[in-house]
Amino acid sequence: MIPFNFDYFKPETLEEALKIYSSEWKLGKKVIYLSGGTEVITFARGGKMTFDSVIDLKGIPECTMLEMQGDDLVIGAAVTLNRLVESNHFPLLSKTVRTIADHTSRNKITIGGNLMSKLGYREGILPFLITDAIAVVYGPAGTEAMPVDNLAAAELAEGQFLTQVKVAASNLDLPFVSMKRTRSSKVGYPIVSLAALRKEGRIRIAFSGIHEHPFRSAVVEGILNDETIEDQQRIDKAIAKLPTNVTDDFIASKDFRKFVLNKLLTEMNAVWEGSR
Amino acid sequence: MHYGSRTTVGFAEQRIDAVEKSTGNVKYLGDKSFQGMLHAKVATSTEAHARIKSIDTSEAWKVQGVRAIVTGKTFPFPIGPILADRPPIAFDKVRYYGEPIAVIVADHPYQAKQAAGKIVAEYEPLPIVNSVEQAFQKDAPLIHEQSGQYTKLIDNVYPVPGTNIASHVKIRKGEFGKAWAVCKDTISATYSFNLSDHAAMETRTATVEINSDGRVIVHSTSQSPFTIKKIFNQFFNLDVGKVIVHIPMLGGAFGGKGAVQLEPLAYLASNAVGGKLVKLQFEREEDMMTAPCHIGFNATVKLGVNEEGKLIAGQYTFLIEAGAYSDQAAGITRAAALDCTGPYHIPNVWCDSYCMYTNHPYATSFRGYGHPELTFAIERTIDQFADKLQMDPIEFRLLNVIKPGQTTPTQSILTPNNIGDAAKCMTRAKELIGWDGKQPIVSENGLVRAKGVALFWKTSTTSTNAQAGAILKFEADGTVTLTSAAVELGQGTKTILAQIAAERLKMNVSDIHVTMEVNTQYTPHQWRTVASSTTFLAGNAVLAAADDAIRQLKRIGAVALQCSEEDLDVGNGRVYIKAKPDIGINIETVALGYKYPNGHTVGGQVIGIGVHVQRHLTPMDKETGFGDPGPWWSVGAQAVEIEWDESNYHYKIVKAVTVLDGGTIINPMTAAQQMRGGIFLGLSIARGESFEFNEQGVIQNPDLRTYQLMRFGEQPDEYIVEFVETPAEDGPFGARGIGEYGVIGAAAALANGLSLATNVELTQLPLTPELIWRTRRAAYDPV
Repeated sequence: MIPFNFDYFKPETLEEALKIYSSEWKLGKKVIYLSGGTEVITFARGGKMTFDSVIDLKGIPECTMLEMQGDDLVIGAAVTLNRLVESNHFPLLSKTVRTIADHTSRNKITIGGNLMSKLGYREGILPFLITDAIAVVYGPAGTEAMPVDNLAAAELAEGQFLTQVKVAASNLDLPFVSMKRTRSSKVGYPIVSLAALRKEGRIRIAFSGIHEHPFRSAVVEGILNDETIEDQQRIDKAIAKLPTNVTDDFIASKDFRKFVLNKLLTEMNAVWEGSR
Repeated sequence: MHYGSRTTVGFAEQRIDAVEKSTGNVKYLGDKSFQGMLHAKVATSTEAHARIKSIDTSEAWKVQGVRAIVTGKTFPFPIGPILADRPPIAFDKVRYYGEPIAVIVADHPYQAKQAAGKIVAEYEPLPIVNSVEQAFQKDAPLIHEQSGQYTKLIDNVYPVPGTNIASHVKIRKGEFGKAWAVCKDTISATYSFNLSDHAAMETRTATVEINSDGRVIVHSTSQSPFTIKKIFNQFFNLDVGKVIVHIPMLGGAFGGKGAVQLEPLAYLASNAVGGKLVKLQFEREEDMMTAPCHIGFNATVKLGVNEEGKLIAGQYTFLIEAGAYSDQAAGITRAAALDCTGPYHIPNVWCDSYCMYTNHPYATSFRGYGHPELTFAIERTIDQFADKLQMDPIEFRLLNVIKPGQTTPTQSILTPNNIGDAAKCMTRAKELIGWDGKQPIVSENGLVRAKGVALFWKTSTTSTNAQAGAILKFEADGTVTLTSAAVELGQGTKTILAQIAAERLKMNVSDIHVTMEVNTQYTPHQWRTVASSTTFLAGNAVLAAADDAIRQLKRIGAVALQCSEEDLDVGNGRVYIKAKPDIGINIETVALGYKYPNGHTVGGQVIGIGVHVQRHLTPMDKETGFGDPGPWWSVGAQAVEIEWDESNYHYKIVKAVTVLDGGTIINPMTAAQQMRGGIFLGLSIARGESFEFNEQGVIQNPDLRTYQLMRFGEQPDEYIVEFVETPAEDGPFGARGIGEYGVIGAAAALANGLSLATNVELTQLPLTPELIWRTRRAAYDPV
């Protein structure tokens, strides 16, 4: 149960959403945007979040669309994970988001909510990081398109919200790998989650679980694509180049996360080998 | 299997609550709302161990709708089921993170919760005891300075003042020291795991109302309605008869609802608002952090054999983690001691079982009451010892398995009636798992298949006067309403009791209407619905009630049929002459008395009453443990086959086998399902469940996002359950208890299989891939 009162708005246009945000904000209220709401409810119940006003984005057509537009797949931020899986426009995304929470929760969790999560996992972003996807945000400065990378570690500006993610059609059907390991049950936060694909002979790869944010690293990718060294050497070298503060908590120790990552990269290589 | 001429006992009758449950029509207590009801919420401690300097409620009072705020000062006395060591609301000091420090009553739940967040407590932090091992050290900070002065509510609890030992229970059988000195070979090993959660589907809820005439009406999700009455009487000085407890059907309990925590809080809350009805419902996180949990455990087991490989000496040191308060952990400490050997004949036994305080949430009973825990330690040691002795682990078990004529650690004498056939269970489990020697099989793709077994036993350590009663009330149509205080918590007890009544009355089970709710105002006394004791105690009470009813039916029948009572029998809805069965009358014509054609009536309603009480149980001697603490031992064997991936350390549970000797099985379908539920629970605890504490003693995984239960789909592909039925002479139709047993050997069998597959000795839970990785790294790759 959420222990405080708040106002709930469900606008039908982007402009209306922003207008509500501005007017509530000007009154000194704490305003949040909401999509699936699973995290907001959990955090608010647990005393980790408060707000005076909630703006639900699920009534805005731009946020709920899921379709090909020209050369892009346009994914509304309020599209649920299960809808992504079932429509399967982007197989790598389907496979990755299927491992987030459980089926019942995925009926509610939206891709925008996952990308904007306060928790550090946000596995839904991995396929976008490696397909140079574009995040479309709307805010006081109007519509703005930016590389999805901008969402990985930074927050949006005051009043801004994610409306869509666009992925080039040419990137939707590349050979891919999506892997995840948890502490014990299939359902759980990742020790390591990774998404990788091959484009023009090069591996692109992004990670979640091993750092406070999901990330794609040019250095790590460079090493993993260096054909001059042996597979295992390449993996060891790539792991040595990980961010220094590898996550160390009760879900998994730092050392075990590195071990798991090592194994997953080996498995990934085996998959690529097999597909050649 | 032969049941003679039985018509319902031994048959897979559909559960009487199946339709109501499967259609979602069951209402749990939390679903119910009452006119004018107020809502309570607890404010909880943000320190694991600290002196309370002040509690400021002024901001909380400003929240709209707040009617009362109760702090520990209102009732600054400790309560408890065994040792009274826990104030319902902390006063003076807090002993765990999440402990109630105030109860707020408001018009709406959210207001109470909001106000709870505005209670400001000032603490003076004290050093934290963050593990059971630390608690046991001589210079450990003291959690209960006054433990020597606490009131003892039952025998066999021995706090050691000046330490963190809430109870020390000893077993001294034979001459351990002498025997140990002459052992041909010995082994010693230590095991440990943390506290964990019951994770029942339904979180705990209680409502209390105090009527203007002084009656206290309690509704609760409790396994212990009469304990609530007793505790309210003992600690709030209320007449037992004025406390009325209602228990609806529960959504799972697993022992966690045997503890009395919410009811006193709701009583104090109701009292603070002039007796108005107050509801206290725990949210999931509170159910995990504030409510009592499953014990933590540390055990050191030493075993010695003679030249033939027979166990001759065993020493057991158990540190049972009680957390901040002893609650049922004090009883578990005793239960673990009295069955410390597992189902093995060991003539010389030395056991020290300690109930240890720590600054963690407090523990209470959990399905198996100390036995899944001790079985993990014993059965891992048995496997390791067999390996050391170069014996097959199953042969080693069979060589040492306990039998009638031998004695338990408390020197209770076993007879063919009071113990099942452990060897037969083990042998059958061996066949069902396809035991092929202790040999892992490595497949080409690096998957290692291995099997692990565990043998176990348990007795029900009820109080020596534990009892149950039953009432069979005949309706005008000749059907019967059965009332007892057995709580339906998902185990199917109401169906079992109906079958027992129907069998004895020779009626259709569908003609027995069982009262689902317990209302202590009209249901007879029952000890509690715990300890796998209900089929035995309440079942025997139902038989006595049925016999009483049959006597009454014959008495009235004799008048109606103009014969003597001895000529009559009862069955198929009739009272009839034994020698001439076609001469008789329908029960409906005598159920409310027999009416002559002229209107005169004799008899009156047939109401059978029955009571069953434990026979000849005794407490245990303080120095040696000598005594008869339990009525019978059900025994069983479990086996698990796993497939371990040596590349990434993950594993899959392929197959699980349970073979149990619980005497006659009243309903093979519900019994098999209860065993499956049990092993699922045991495997889930073993595989992933454990509270993880940080250095401040705070649980890091207090919600179901982070606390990893085994999910549907992760259960074994094959889930075999069989029963060996060695009847118990004094059980209803030969039944012993079975409720807890499915869980007992699960962790041990899984750990044995995994230890075999991974070629290291796994001694901790949960059995995560990381634990295996660490253990192997320490064994093979010491850095």
